Amino acid sequence: MTPGADNREFPEGAAIRPDGMPRRDFVKLLGASIALAGLDGCIREPDQKILPYIDGNNGVIPGVAQHYATSMTIDGFATGLIVESHEGRPTKIEGNPDHPASLGAAGVFEQAAVLQLYDPHRARRVTAGGRATTSQAALAAFAPAALANRVGATGAGLRLLLEPTSSPLTSAWLDRVRERYPSSRVYFHAPLQSAAQLDASRQTFGAPLLPRYDFTQADVVVALDADLLASGPFHLRYARDFSTRRQRPPRAELYVAECSPSPTGNVADNRLAASPTVIARLLASLLSTVAADPRTAARAIAVDHSASTLALSEAEKAWVSSAAGALLRAGARGVVVAGERLPVECHVAAHALNAMLGAAGQTVVYNASPIVGAGEPSHDIMALQADLASGDVDTLVILQGNPCYAAPGNVPLATQIKAIRNTLYLGMYDNETARASTWHIPAAHFLEAWGDSCACDGTESMVQPLIAPLYDGRTNDEILSVLAGAPDTAHALLRQNWQRRYSHVGDIGAAWTDAIQRGLVMGTQPPVTTNVRADAVVPAHRALIASAQAAPSAGTIDAVFAPSRAVYDGRFADNAWLQELPDPITKLTWDNAALLSPRSAQQLGVTSGDVVEVSVGNQSLRIPALVVPGHADGVTSLAIGYGRTGAEAIARGVGVNVNALRTSVAPHAAIGGRIRGTGDHVELAVTQGHWTLEGREDSVLGITPPPAPSDTTPASSQPRKRRPLTLYEPPAPSSAGFGADQWAMVIDLDQCTGCSACVVACQAENNVPVVGKDGVLASREMHWLRIDRYLSGPPETPSFDTQPMLCQHCEKAPCEYVCPVDATVHSDDGLNEMVYNRCVGTRFCSNNCPYKVRRFNWFDYNDELTPVEQMVKNPQVTVRERGVMEKCTFCVQRVRHAQRDADLAGAPHTGPVQTACQQTCPSQAIVFGSLTAPDSEVAKLSNDPRAFSALAEEGTVPRVRYLSRKRNAGA
Amino acid sequence: MTGGVLPMPAEPPVAPVMHDVPDDGVLTTQLLAPNWTPSRGWWPLFLISGAFTVLFVVGMTVTFTRGIGSWGNNIPVAWAYGITDFVWWIGIGHAGTFISAFLLLLNQRWRASVNRLAEAMTIFALVNASLFPILHLGRPWFFYWLMPYPATTGVWPNFKSSLPWDVAAISTYFTVSLLFWYLGLVPDLASARDQAPGLLRRRIYGIFALGWRGRAVEWQHYRVAYGLLAGLATPLVISVHSIVSLDFSITQLPGWHSTIFPPYFVVGAIYSGLAMLLMLMLPVRRIFGLEQIITEKHLDNIAKLILVTGTMLAYSYICEMFGAWYSGETVERYSMLINRPFGPYGVLFWAMTLMNVVTPHLFWWKRLRVDTVVLFIAGLLIWVGMWLERFIIIAGSLTRDFLPSSWGVFAPTWVDWSLLLGSIGLFSLLFLTFLRWVPFVPLSEVKRLRYELQRDQIAGPRA
Repeated sequence: MTPGADNREFPEGAAIRPDGMPRRDFVKLLGASIALAGLDGCIREPDQKILPYIDGNNGVIPGVAQHYATSMTIDGFATGLIVESHEGRPTKIEGNPDHPASLGAAGVFEQAAVLQLYDPHRARRVTAGGRATTSQAALAAFAPAALANRVGATGAGLRLLLEPTSSPLTSAWLDRVRERYPSSRVYFHAPLQSAAQLDASRQTFGAPLLPRYDFTQADVVVALDADLLASGPFHLRYARDFSTRRQRPPRAELYVAECSPSPTGNVADNRLAASPTVIARLLASLLSTVAADPRTAARAIAVDHSASTLALSEAEKAWVSSAAGALLRAGARGVVVAGERLPVECHVAAHALNAMLGAAGQTVVYNASPIVGAGEPSHDIMALQADLASGDVDTLVILQGNPCYAAPGNVPLATQIKAIRNTLYLGMYDNETARASTWHIPAAHFLEAWGDSCACDGTESMVQPLIAPLYDGRTNDEILSVLAGAPDTAHALLRQNWQRRYSHVGDIGAAWTDAIQRGLVMGTQPPVTTNVRADAVVPAHRALIASAQAAPSAGTIDAVFAPSRAVYDGRFADNAWLQELPDPITKLTWDNAALLSPRSAQQLGVTSGDVVEVSVGNQSLRIPALVVPGHADGVTSLAIGYGRTGAEAIARGVGVNVNALRTSVAPHAAIGGRIRGTGDHVELAVTQGHWTLEGREDSVLGITPPPAPSDTTPASSQPRKRRPLTLYEPPAPSSAGFGADQWAMVIDLDQCTGCSACVVACQAENNVPVVGKDGVLASREMHWLRIDRYLSGPPETPSFDTQPMLCQHCEKAPCEYVCPVDATVHSDDGLNEMVYNRCVGTRFCSNNCPYKVRRFNWFDYNDELTPVEQMVKNPQVTVRERGVMEKCTFCVQRVRHAQRDADLAGAPHTGPVQTACQQTCPSQAIVFGSLTAPDSEVAKLSNDPRAFSALAEEGTVPRVRYLSRKRNAGA
Repeated sequence: MTGGVLPMPAEPPVAPVMHDVPDDGVLTTQLLAPNWTPSRGWWPLFLISGAFTVLFVVGMTVTFTRGIGSWGNNIPVAWAYGITDFVWWIGIGHAGTFISAFLLLLNQRWRASVNRLAEAMTIFALVNASLFPILHLGRPWFFYWLMPYPATTGVWPNFKSSLPWDVAAISTYFTVSLLFWYLGLVPDLASARDQAPGLLRRRIYGIFALGWRGRAVEWQHYRVAYGLLAGLATPLVISVHSIVSLDFSITQLPGWHSTIFPPYFVVGAIYSGLAMLLMLMLPVRRIFGLEQIITEKHLDNIAKLILVTGTMLAYSYICEMFGAWYSGETVERYSMLINRPFGPYGVLFWAMTLMNVVTPHLFWWKRLRVDTVVLFIAGLLIWVGMWLERFIIIAGSLTRDFLPSSWGVFAPTWVDWSLLLGSIGLFSLLFLTFLRWVPFVPLSEVKRLRYELQRDQIAGPRA
C-alpha cells in the first residue's frame, strides 16, 4: 500500500472542523476577545474630543504612547507641558518646546504632578458638614435660585477667595458672577505671592508691570536673593537662556548675594551670603556706586547719596565693587535681578539700576502682569480678614488653595472661615480648609480639567485634560458658572469663551484646534516700554539705607520664609516623589528645618538635628536646626509648606508649619526674632552627610584646587587620558546592526545648577519607588540619578559644586564581573544592563560600584499599590520586585524604541534619543547619544578638553563623561 | 586501675599527651557513659540553646517573608552582619579541619584526643556558615542559580565572580568534613553499639556503625580512607578561606582590594577556630573529667598555635595598613588610615586590636598557656575580636569609599542581632546534641595512641 496524501493517519487539516472555524483560530479569538474586553475599561478618555499634540489622530493604538499639550499653573502663571499618555492614562510630563516658559524643560513640580493625579488621598466625595452628599445637591445650593435667598439679590453676603489667576476664562466668569451679584467681592491669596514686585513697578513706572529678563544677551547678571535659575514662574526659561549664554565666550558673569544657598548660587562666580539687612546694604551701595559713575551719566536717575556713609564689611565692599565694576563694564548687557519676595524698595532699586545701565528694553523688558486684579490691595488677604470681621459675610466660596493652613500667623483666617455660616471649598484634598468649610467639592487635577491660563509674559496657554476626572472633580470655572446661574462643563465654557474672544478670527475652528494641539496661543503679549519716574527712586533708596542701618540687637535673629523646593507652599505635600526629593542644597527629605549658618549654629551651641525654638513677636515654634555652610549669619531660613494637619496621609505630620511666625505685613521675612536651643534632638533624613571631597577634587570633579584663573581653558591643564593602560584594546564597534551605535552621555558641570528636575523626571520615567523617611534615614533611597553636592573652601564662604551621579555605564564595569549569576551584563551598544529576572540579590555589584549608584529593593515597594496608584507606572519599564538590584539604564526603553524605528526605516544609525533626565534639564547640561553616529554631539563633547571621567584612575572607563566647571577670572 | 597505667617520667619538661589512662575496657565505659545518661546541667543548657535557636528561626522567617529590608543593610553598606556572620562561622570551622587533618598528616599525636570535638565544631560552624549566604540573598528562592546545573535557559553562573566558587568551596568543604568526621566516628559508633543499654539504642548505633566489626582488614581500609580524606581536607583548609577572601579582594573597594587577603584570612580563620575550640574544650574537659586525655600538653600546644597565628594575623594587619600607605592612593589611605581607626567604627577597631593583637601575647608565658581560666577568657576575647575584625573589614570599608557623597553608616536591627545570636544558639544546640549522643572523644584513636606511647616507652621513641 502506498501511503498517499489522503491515507495518512493525520491528514493535513484534520484539526479543522468541517464547519470552517479552525480550533486554533477559535481559541485565538476567544483569547483576544477576553484580553481586549478589558481595554475599554482601561481608557478613561474625557467625554469631549481632545486632540493629540502632533499627529491629530485620536485613534488610540494600544502600546503606542500619545502626547498631548497642556499647561500647569502655579500661583497664576502657566508653564506649557507635553504629557505622555498610555492607553488613556497620563504617565509622564515633559516641557512643551513651543511654550516660552518651558522651551521643552519641566521643573520639579511639573514632573511630579502626574503622581498627584493618582494620589489615593485625594478627596473623592462631595461633603456637606462633613457628611457625604451628591454634587447635584451641592451645586444646587449655590445656584442663584438658592443662593440669592441667602446672600441677597445683589450678593452683599457673598465673597469669593481664589488663588491668583491669569486665566481669561476665570476672569470672564468672575465678571459674570459680579454681574449677577454686583455687591459680592473677590479676594486672591497665595502664601508665596508677594505684592512688592507689582507695588514697586507701580511706584517706579506707574503701572503693575512684571520684569522679564533676556539672559541670552546678558554679560553680567547680579542676582539679589533671586533664585532665578530654579524657582519662580519663568525659571525654566531663564536657566535655558543663561546656559545658552554661558556656552558663548566671553563667559557671562553671575554675582549672587543671597540668604540661603540656592541652585543659582551654586553656579555663581561670586557669591556672598547676605541677610536681608545685608541685601539692603549691598543694593543701596550698588545703587549709589552705579549712579555716581560717569558711564551712567546719560541715563542718570536721582538717588540718595547718603549711602556712601554705610559701613560695609570687607567682603561686602569687595562684592559691591566687583559687581558694580562688572555691571558698569557691561552697560546695557548687564542686569540686576531682585528676588520676588524682597521688599518694595529693593525692586525699585533694581529697576533704577537696570534703567541707568540701559538694560531696560535690552536684557530686561517689562510687560503688564496677566494676573487678574494684579496688585490691587483691596483683593488681598488683609482686606478679606477685615471683611470677614465685619460680619456681613454669609457665604464664602473658596476656589482652590488652602488659606486655613497658609494664612499668616496674625490673620486668624481658619477661625474666621469656620465661623461663616455657609462656605464652599473646591479643593483636591480634604485638607485644613475643607475641614473648616461647610461644603467641600473635590477639585479636578489640571490633567483632568479644561481651562486656560497665562504665562508670566502673558502667553495664553491651554489646559487640556488627559483623562476624565477620576473622582468627579470640578474646575473653578464650572463652580463660577454655577454661581452665575449658567452652569456648564468646563469644556463648553472654554469653547464659548474662546468663540467670544476670537470672534474676529476667520477660521475659528482651525484656530481652536491649533491652540489646543500646541497648548498655547502664539504671540499674545508684546512688552511695554517704560520710563522711571523721577521721584520714585530717592525715597526707595532712603528706605533701603534705613533698613541697611538697622543694627541687629544682640541675641536676635531674622527669619526668612522661603518656598519649599519640594512641596512649594504645601500644595504638593501629599506627593511622595517631592517629599523624598532631596533638597538641592541641604539634601534634606521629608522635613523642613531652621537653616543656620555654621557660625550662628556654633553661637547657639546647636548642631544639625537639635531642636530650636524660634520666636517672632508672641508666636513661637520648635523646629530642628540644620547647619548649612554658605548660609548668612544671624538669619534662619524656614521653608513653608510643612506641618500639614489635613487628611492627606503622606503630608500629615511631616515637618513643622512655620506660617504662624509670618505676618501679613512682612510675610516673607521677620526681622528681630529670637532663637534658642531646647536640648532635644531629632534625626533629619538627609541623603548626603559628607560635604567635602577629602582631597579627591581632581578625581571626582576634574578640578585641581585652587581652580586655574582662566576663562576658557579647562581648570585642570593636564590632558586627560581617554583610557587607562590596558592589555587588550576594546573591540571595535560593529559597523552595522545592533552595536553600530555606542551610547554615551556627557554632563556639563558648568551648566548644572543642581535644581533636581532630572531626579524627579527619572523617577517618573523609570517607576522608581519611594522609601519614606525611615528608608531615607536607613540610606535606602532609590533614586537612580542623584545630585551630589560638594563644598570647598571655608565653611562660611564655601564654593559649591554639583554633580549629577548616575550609573556611569562603565566599559569595564566593576559590577559585571562580580555578579555570580550574570544578572548585570554589557550590551553590544555599550549599555550596562540590569537583568531583573536573573538577579538573585547578592548586592555584590553595589559593593564593587565605585559610584554607589546601584539601588536595591529592600522590600517589595510596589506590593501595596492601589489600582489607581498603579496607573502612574510607565508601561515601558519593568516594575521591580523585592530583592533585586536596579539602577540607571540610560532610559533603555527609549533607546530601544528609537532603535526599532530606525530598523523599520532601514536607517544605519538610531535617530536622536533623549533620556528623561536630559529632556527635562532646563539648562541642557545633559547630552546623550551615540558616539558613532554621524555628527555626534556626544562624541564631540566627550573629546572636549574639559571632558573627564569620574574616578578615571579606577580604570572603569565610564560612558558618562563630565565637563569640568569653568571659573571666571577674578570674579 | 589495673595494669595499664603509664609510668610518668620524673621531671617532665612538658606534660605528656596522656597520663593516668585506665585500660581499654574501663576507658571505653568511662568515655561512653555521658552518651547513656545526660549529665547535670545538660537540660538547662539545651533549653537555653533551643530558645536562641527559636530566635534564629524567627529572624530567618522575617527575613524570608519581609525581605532583606528587615536588616540594617543599606547602600553603601550592602553587606554587613549577614556576611560577617558567614565569614566568622566558616573561619571557626577551619580550626577543626586544621587539627584533625593537617595535624594528622604532620603526625602530631596530640590531635588524637581533641580531633572529634574540633571536627564537630567544624561541621556545626559550617551548618551556620552555609545558611547565611542563602539568608543574605534578595531572592533566596533562586539560590540554586549560583550552581552550574543544566538549566533549560542555558544560563550558567558567572565564573568570573567569586561567589559561585564560594558555593563550590563551601559545599565541597562541608561534604569532605562530614565524611571525614563520620569515617572517624565509625569504630566508636561500633563501640557504642556494643556497649549501649537497650535494644533500640543498640539498633540505632548499629545502623550508624555500618556493620563495623573491628577486623584487621577493616582497620586497614579504614586507615587508608582516613588518610586519603585527611589529604583531601588539608588543602581545603587553605583553599576554602582563600576563596572566601576573594569575595572581597577581587573588588575595587579600598579595604577589600588587597592581595594579602587569602593568607590573611586563612590565618585569621584558624586563629578564630582555635579560640572557639578552647571555649568548647575547656568546659568539656572539666565537666567530663578528661584531664588525663586532654592534658596540659594539649592546652599548651593550642595556646602556642594561637600565639603563632595571632602574631601572623597582627603582621597581616600591619601589612594591610602599610600597603595602603605605600600605595600613595588617596582613597586607599583614607580608608585604611583614617576611616578604619577613626571612622564610624573606630571604637570597634581599637577593641578588635586589643582583643586580637594583644591577647595572644599572654601565651609567651608557660604558666598562662596552661591556666584554664586565662585560656577560656583569651578564647572568648579572640572569638569576639575575630567577629569584629570581619565586621570592620566588611561593613567598615563599605561605609566610606570613593565618592564622599555616598558615604553612610550601618546600624543593626533586631533581626540582625537575632540571626547572630540565634546562630550561636543553633551551634550550641547542635553541639549539646553531639555531646549527648555521639562519642565525643575518639575512643579508638585514644586507645591507639595509648598503645603507641606504651610501645615508644618500651622501644624508645621513633625517630
